[in-house]
Amino acid sequence: MPNFPWQGRPDVSAISDASLSALLAGTEFPTGSPPELRPVAEALAALTAAPTGDELAGEAEALAAFRERLGVPSPTRRPRRRPTLLSPLLSARAAAAAAVAALGIGGFATAAFAGALPAPVQQFAHHTIGAPAARSADARMHDSPSPAGPDATGHPAYGLCTAWAHAKAHGTAKQKAVAFRNLATAAGGADNVATFCAAVPHPGASSSHTSHPTGPPTSHPTGPPSSHPTGKPSSHPTPHPTGKPSTHPTPHPTGKP
Amino acid sequence: MIGDGFAAVLAAAQSGSEEAFSQLWRDGNPPLLRYLRVIAPEVAEDIAADTWVHVVRGLATFRGDEQAWRAWLFTTARRRSIDEGRRRSRRPTAPLDDIAAGQLPTAPDAAEIALERLGTRSAMALVAGLPTIQAEVILLRVVAGLDTETVAQLTGRSPGAVRVAVHRGLRRLAQLLAEAGVTL
Repeated sequence: MPNFPWQGRPDVSAISDASLSALLAGTEFPTGSPPELRPVAEALAALTAAPTGDELAGEAEALAAFRERLGVPSPTRRPRRRPTLLSPLLSARAAAAAAVAALGIGGFATAAFAGALPAPVQQFAHHTIGAPAARSADARMHDSPSPAGPDATGHPAYGLCTAWAHAKAHGTAKQKAVAFRNLATAAGGADNVATFCAAVPHPGASSSHTSHPTGPPTSHPTGPPSSHPTGKPSSHPTPHPTGKPSTHPTPHPTGKP
Repeated sequence: MIGDGFAAVLAAAQSGSEEAFSQLWRDGNPPLLRYLRVIAPEVAEDIAADTWVHVVRGLATFRGDEQAWRAWLFTTARRRSIDEGRRRSRRPTAPLDDIAAGQLPTAPDAAEIALERLGTRSAMALVAGLPTIQAEVILLRVVAGLDTETVAQLTGRSPGAVRVAVHRGLRRLAQLLAEAGVTL
């Protein structure tokens, strides 16, 4: 007689659907379950046992994919990507930082308010500390040979005062500069500059930050600086949601070093 | 499963925290691999890695609770395993479900499994010996932790059909284990 495979098998048809469902419902072996289900419960527990080493081997690869993806623009993450959007400004910032390193902050401010910095740096100084805007070559050609300097009664006063304080601490030679003459005039005399400056508000603390001087010496030869580097850029050079993330020189905001 | 802290972990991962993403990965990858090693044993690791790349791509816009997250993870893996199966197969239209259990290279004879106390691999091998649809729904219910309705959506079957397949699979497991002489 052939040995049929189903001969002698235990009868599992008697196991009710309810007891099978109960087995899946929790981690404990349900009381009142048929004893044939105990090995099954053991098998299911083994299926959900703690991870083994080989099951956690691919983490570095997955993290690399995650890291790579961080730099990719996508609509929901716009605020986090602002540093990359400001890269043109950052280069100006780097140039300004170099100038600061070279001159010292007081010297930088002095140069900025004398309009003597290279155009991109001057423009940066204009936007950040209220120094005069960069002047185009054309404007320089038509300028009067005698410099008028910034208007010490208006917007640049704070920066002028900073520069003045620095110059005062490091000697008086620079105080002959035209910018300081304007400051002294605005203060009502060189002796009153300290008092005058004490009353000048920080640009960030007053609404006058947005108003630009209107006098002839400080008019903007390059047109009104309507675009403000600290505002939200309305157009990005490469807003490409499907672009390759690795090409973006993104500083990692939260990653480990 | 991460549980109560899931929403916070997901949000942190979505805002770029590697630590949070690592937590999601460490929670999700082991069950994902256990599932794939049964339904696509030869390419399980590749499909798992592929799945995570895909998930990372859509992570920022994903919305849902942990059940939805698991469903997304396993749906992605399942689609990829089917694509891979079609690509590798000379029968391009053969659905995964029609592959007989005997064709799975990891399916052992139940009696060959040393079963003093079942290890994870032994239990997986045992499940792999079931007809594929039974093995798959059991893994999705037990390993992936998905409810019957989600498994039904994921596999394109009715909840009733899923329930029946799970019960048949469990009965068969009980039978295989009894034959193997497992007494606990």
